[in-house]
Amino acid sequence: MASDGPSIVSHTSPYRAGRSLAIRGALTRNLMLIAGLVLVAVLAAGAIFAPLLTQYTPESMDYMAMLQGPSAAHLFGTDELGRDIFSRSLYGARLSMSVGLSAVLLSVAMGVPLGLIAGYVGGITDAIFMRILDSLIALPPLVLALTISAVLGTGLVNATIAIAIVSVPTFARLIRGQVLSLKHLEFIQAAESIGVSSPLIILRHILPNAINPVIVHASLAVGFAIILESRLSFIGLGAQPPASTWGSMVQVGFQYLELAPWYPLIPATMIFFAVLGFNMLGEGLRQMLDPASRSRP
Amino acid sequence: MVKFIAQRFAATLPVLVLTSVIIFVLMRILPGDPVLMLIGEHSEVSEETITTLRKQYGLDQPLPVQYLIWVKNAVSGDLGRSIHGRQPVWDVVAPRILPTAQIGLTAWIFAVIVAVPLGALSAARMNTWLDWLGTLLALIGAAMPYFLLGGLLIYGVALKTGWLPISGYVSPAVDIGRSIRSTILPAATLSLALIAVITRQARSSFADVLNHPFIRTARAKGLSERNVIIRHALRNAMVPIVTILGLQLGTLFSGAVVTEMVFAIPGVGRLLVDSILSRDYPVVQAVVLFITFCVVMATMAVDIAYGLLDPRLRPR
Repeated sequence: MASDGPSIVSHTSPYRAGRSLAIRGALTRNLMLIAGLVLVAVLAAGAIFAPLLTQYTPESMDYMAMLQGPSAAHLFGTDELGRDIFSRSLYGARLSMSVGLSAVLLSVAMGVPLGLIAGYVGGITDAIFMRILDSLIALPPLVLALTISAVLGTGLVNATIAIAIVSVPTFARLIRGQVLSLKHLEFIQAAESIGVSSPLIILRHILPNAINPVIVHASLAVGFAIILESRLSFIGLGAQPPASTWGSMVQVGFQYLELAPWYPLIPATMIFFAVLGFNMLGEGLRQMLDPASRSRP
Repeated sequence: MVKFIAQRFAATLPVLVLTSVIIFVLMRILPGDPVLMLIGEHSEVSEETITTLRKQYGLDQPLPVQYLIWVKNAVSGDLGRSIHGRQPVWDVVAPRILPTAQIGLTAWIFAVIVAVPLGALSAARMNTWLDWLGTLLALIGAAMPYFLLGGLLIYGVALKTGWLPISGYVSPAVDIGRSIRSTILPAATLSLALIAVITRQARSSFADVLNHPFIRTARAKGLSERNVIIRHALRNAMVPIVTILGLQLGTLFSGAVVTEMVFAIPGVGRLLVDSILSRDYPVVQAVVLFITFCVVMATMAVDIAYGLLDPRLRPR
């Protein structure tokens, strides 16, 4: 690594060389990031290529093979209707992971503008926004998600909205903190002095400089969103049949814990690996993008 | 000091007011007329009675006035009546508090006993296998769903060995031995997530303290590493750890909801789920208020403890 450093510098501009070296160096040193990437990639590939990886559809029932243990024909065994748990886990990954991702996207879409406005405008707007968001944080995440689900009703779309709302305060606070530390810097004042409009300053000059912590936190938030979805579905407020996520598989499977322990435990393990993957990815990104926290957690 | 506590309390009030407004608004958005919910949807009541009841409960008033009436009633202990069973909401909630508190407290104590020494050792032996074990445990604990750990414990410990009950809860007033046995598995399930958070916090705060000059002095005068950590580092490292301990009450409640479902424990978390599923909204409202109140009070207690432990943080 060190030996090819000077040659790159001599051929390209120093800035680009420094950056690409930093990323390559981070990848080789950052075990956490690699492990997270691999884990998430494997699960995502399983979800995307589900039809190629299994001969069963998630709904095909086989009354001759109910609650069978793992075998060559059924890698993860079968459930109470003789459906293949391996196939159901793969197709469940599609729903679970897309709920996780869309909840975080929705959350960023709500939280980032709120934080930008609160931080940039300041004063009474800031005070009101932040007080309301602070009081949302006072509620435990699952309790808040449950309450919102109670208002919105059951189903995956409503669960996604509820999960998104739970994470809004964190994103808003993160970006607000960034804006507050940026807005008095010279380049922002320069933009203001030549008459650039506030929305343009926020979008062009503040957002790009404030976005790194949001990227890091988004990865951690996906893991958390997957956990929340699984809990809501486990409780019975998330996915409703025939739609099934990992969480709803665990919910039904739990009744068969003694008879067929693989049935609830395998989808639960999938949740564990997905969350572990996104958490390690986020931790790794943090180490790469945020030099201040480079020492291992 | 009294002034400091009063200040913390004053800072807490707006949060309590705002959360109660949010809960109130959420509950008013819910489908269903509160009066019809109160008298039961299927009972035969004349229009006149409904109008009278509406007046009696202040539901003909504008929303802000309704909120004030609701707060006044809530403060005096009247949170309405359960739709199912018709008894006062508080009578439904109160018996659920002990199981949740008992299991939560056990989990909390268990987590402190495991995580603080593990964090301290991780910091003292940084980058050894022990340190990596701590990091690994923190990663696993943060990603482990409660129902996976709970399921494994029920299957592996309760079903296979029969040493501990599979589910259910026994009150200590009935039988202390059985009560403790019914607490062990749920508390273990609940504690792993706490252990993950506390280990990380303990490691970083011990690592921080161990870099201070007074630790070097303690080592220089020939104290063993054990004595350095226990006599000199522990107290200083405890301040941030205490903060985390207090702020985890919310995590405990979130975990309690799932854990109480897994182990069929009649606690606050299960009551919340059951009342949401059966649309018993007065109970939902009361439980959410109760949980919020506990969490906000814990946050305030942490603020005050902070001032007690570290005089530099007290306002002058």
